[in-house]
Amino acid sequence: METVTITLNGREVSGHPGMTVLELARESGVDIPTLCYDAHLTPIGACRICLVEDEQTGALMASCVAPIAPGMVINTRSERVIAHRKTIVNLMLASHPDSCMVCDKDNRCQLRQIAADIGIGLVELRRLPQMASIQEVNPFIERDLSKCILCGKCIRACQELVVEGAIDYFQRGFTAKPATFGDFPLESSECTFCGTCVALCSTGALTEKEKTYHGTTRTAVETTCPYCGCGCSISLEVKDSQVIRVTPGKEDRVNQGALCVRGSYGYDFVHSPDRLTKPLARTEDDLKEVSWEEALERAAGELKRIKEKYGPDSLAVLGSPRCTNEENYLLQRFARCVLGTNNIDNGSRLYSSATESIPALAHRRNDLSTLEQSDVIMVIGADPSSSAPIVEYAIKRAVRFKGARLILIDPRRTKLASFAHLWLRPRIGTDVALLNSLAEVIINEGLLNKEFVAQKTDDLEALVKYSTDYAGAITSIPAEAITAAARLYAKADSAAIVYGSGITQYSSGTNSLKALANLALLTGNIGGDGEKGGVYPIIRESNAQGACDMGVLPNFLPGYQSVVDAGVRRRFEEWWGVDLPAKPGLTAVEIIEQAKEGKIKGLYVVGENPVLSFPNSSLVSEAMSCLECLIVQDIFLSKTAELATVVLPAASFAEKEGTFTNLEGRVNRLRKAIEPVGESLSDWEIVQRLAERMGYLLHFSSPQQIMDEVKELVPHQAELEGPLHFSRVEYVPLSDGAKEDYPFVLLTGTTLHHHGTGTRSSRAKRLVNFSPQPFLEIGAPDAIKVAITNGDRVRITSPTGEVTAKVKIVDTLPERMLFMSVSFPDTPVNGLFDIVLDTEAKTPALKSCYVKVEKVGPDE
Amino acid sequence: MNEAKVVTEGDLAQINEMAAEYRQMKWALIPLVQSIQDKFGYIPPQCIPSISEALGLFPSQVQGVISFYTQLYTEPRGKHIVRVCRGTACHVRGGKTILKLVKQHLGIEEGETTPDWEYTMETVACLGVCALAPNVVINDQVHGHMNPRKIEQLFKKDGE
Repeated sequence: METVTITLNGREVSGHPGMTVLELARESGVDIPTLCYDAHLTPIGACRICLVEDEQTGALMASCVAPIAPGMVINTRSERVIAHRKTIVNLMLASHPDSCMVCDKDNRCQLRQIAADIGIGLVELRRLPQMASIQEVNPFIERDLSKCILCGKCIRACQELVVEGAIDYFQRGFTAKPATFGDFPLESSECTFCGTCVALCSTGALTEKEKTYHGTTRTAVETTCPYCGCGCSISLEVKDSQVIRVTPGKEDRVNQGALCVRGSYGYDFVHSPDRLTKPLARTEDDLKEVSWEEALERAAGELKRIKEKYGPDSLAVLGSPRCTNEENYLLQRFARCVLGTNNIDNGSRLYSSATESIPALAHRRNDLSTLEQSDVIMVIGADPSSSAPIVEYAIKRAVRFKGARLILIDPRRTKLASFAHLWLRPRIGTDVALLNSLAEVIINEGLLNKEFVAQKTDDLEALVKYSTDYAGAITSIPAEAITAAARLYAKADSAAIVYGSGITQYSSGTNSLKALANLALLTGNIGGDGEKGGVYPIIRESNAQGACDMGVLPNFLPGYQSVVDAGVRRRFEEWWGVDLPAKPGLTAVEIIEQAKEGKIKGLYVVGENPVLSFPNSSLVSEAMSCLECLIVQDIFLSKTAELATVVLPAASFAEKEGTFTNLEGRVNRLRKAIEPVGESLSDWEIVQRLAERMGYLLHFSSPQQIMDEVKELVPHQAELEGPLHFSRVEYVPLSDGAKEDYPFVLLTGTTLHHHGTGTRSSRAKRLVNFSPQPFLEIGAPDAIKVAITNGDRVRITSPTGEVTAKVKIVDTLPERMLFMSVSFPDTPVNGLFDIVLDTEAKTPALKSCYVKVEKVGPDE
Repeated sequence: MNEAKVVTEGDLAQINEMAAEYRQMKWALIPLVQSIQDKFGYIPPQCIPSISEALGLFPSQVQGVISFYTQLYTEPRGKHIVRVCRGTACHVRGGKTILKLVKQHLGIEEGETTPDWEYTMETVACLGVCALAPNVVINDQVHGHMNPRKIEQLFKKDGE
């Protein structure tokens, strides 16, 4: 490779063409101070702190924007350079308040660090303070622009990384400042409070809003965000055993310096007074605090008794997409070896259809960086702006800066609509018809990747094709728009698909995925290991992928090795020293149904909240009360834990070690930042102790040892051999059509400021302050029909249940469609749903149901 | 206030049409806002979101560019633009008093517009015609050697 050699401080160093002097200096271990530079942002050479001297020409130049040239002789610390740097810092300090002693940025302030480094004791210039008022009322970010040095990192972060563009420079000269459109406070702007700008701010101009001044922290622990499936790297700053701040982590191949509001400000739940600190056991009707000994004895005793009396298959286990790989591995080993049942499943069943049955999608590692390089991105049934913001950032960057074209398929006008080149609004539940019709256009117009199809695939004739007219009638999308979308997708060099629970949480979810896989196969865009294209799932929970990988599934042992395969079982039996059950177990919702029928007698729930997360809450509660024993292991007393026989307090993400597998298939580390709260223990330790009580000894002393065992038992996923098959899928109309009494269709989904069923985010005080309650979103014409307006309280009734909520009139919904978030524990929206399962993956249909809306008094 | 000076719904629709011609062309921002200003006298802030959407920019960016240039205005301006020189030569020859008198006559402060939309008043650092100091420029016409009497004549209203 071509190299460029320059002399840097008297030493010859080489870099590649296009590198800047700053980059080469940093690579060679020469430190140059910077304020406006950040590796994630476009360099602009605004602050001039990174000045270096070209000794041949005598020119001073900003090294962050100066490309290296052969033969350059650079001095980074000549007398002239130092003198100029001093002047620049002096000028900055002349208009900077003397509030360092009481500034919350404390020793993290880059301006202060640089001033200290180059030895500025006294500002020798006339002071020219810039006055600014602080006017924010949001609970996240405080702006004190009197401390702003106009380095523009916040502006570039907002525009280049997050692509929200809430702020830009405003006015010029002395009055210049970063401002929102209209110079309004952040809460009246597009700002999503992702906190990326706060993490980058060179001074105390942007700080986290917090009541107390924590002072300098000395410990920062690199770990992984516990919320969505993005798996962002975060850094937990710890002081006096308290997590006091979260910043984007340094190992940030996923999030690249950015975070979202949940990642930056959602960690408050760790120190919530609601945390479970001692085990609880039921006495008569009440849960009483007991010792670990007592709790484990009771739990083990009950499980043993039920197993002996009714047999192992009367027991079931629910694992958690929020627990680590190691914990999930141990849990399934517990279920299979100690309880002797395959009745084990995890909460990701609720929103993502299993992809193992679709070889074109299974086990492909698709990096977000590949997504960002795609020429066309199709987003279907997903609102990554709220469910997986980092994916949204990548899509917006691809569109805005890399010329990608976006096809959005969603009945709601999500935030991505303003970035979309084509926006299709299908009727709900008609995705298969649309996708089959896209396939028809691709084949008819000869747009398929013939080489790929001939070499890598099989069964092309199985593919079902619908004419655009036929699909148009079903989906209500004009035939021309379907044709245009098909052409756009198929003609691209690389085309990626991003899908979410908007297609999987339907009874036809698996079919929709197969139809998506067909499109990827037709055009050779199946991705995997850096290959072009790819099909990206928006995974809702931090370790949903890992929980499945680790075999917390009724039909698979770790690594998707089938339980019915005697050879596979034999390998595991040798390691684990027990005979394994051969019959596949029950899936999550089936477990609940069988509990209701009295066939499941004992249930061990780890980090899951079926009462809120499953459809038909009242039926779930009823099923729980039919159990002879319910053991719940959680960090909070969830609605499910309230019904338990024994409650075991678990440690939060900040208190344990392990790994999470994100939606890319990347394995990220979780590191312990603080000691477990109260007497709580890591989930793996609890499972191990419980196993011990039941007479099965596990000798793991760390999650690392567990992972070592996983690696022995799960062979590295071998390259899939043989051709990939096209799947035959037909459109089947939704079974529950509109009914006379229930005129509206209610869509449910996530919201940016909360997550999952809200167990954690509802205890993160800043998130709750900002977004305290869910709203029923309704379009203005519909609101007029029902005679309701903003702020009215309404009752939403389905044939299965009812909830009440306040109304918010929006312009994002088509007629007769409503939207509501599922993430508020006090408003159990899933209670409106009856249990309808996907025929194949057994995922419950939790995306849409028919409801009626009526106004109620404010007290109801 | 003269209602005619403020843009109407129809004007905004016309601005949207003008912006639509430059779909996804970031470079066109300055020529576009200039032509909007030529047509309507100023750039109505309420049209910034639609300009941004058409060009593929953020509203904050468009606002940033408009606020950077002193030649671009986001408020309606008077029929006549009065510029009072505050340069050194004018200052020495009583420019400060001239400014005070202009303010008195028009009843407005710097950067403001009279309620009848006749005059907008600004100050400038130097006009380069120091020999005529103190100076006032109305539209493109320089009025030199100003004194209180001349000021009175300049702003004499019809019928006074």
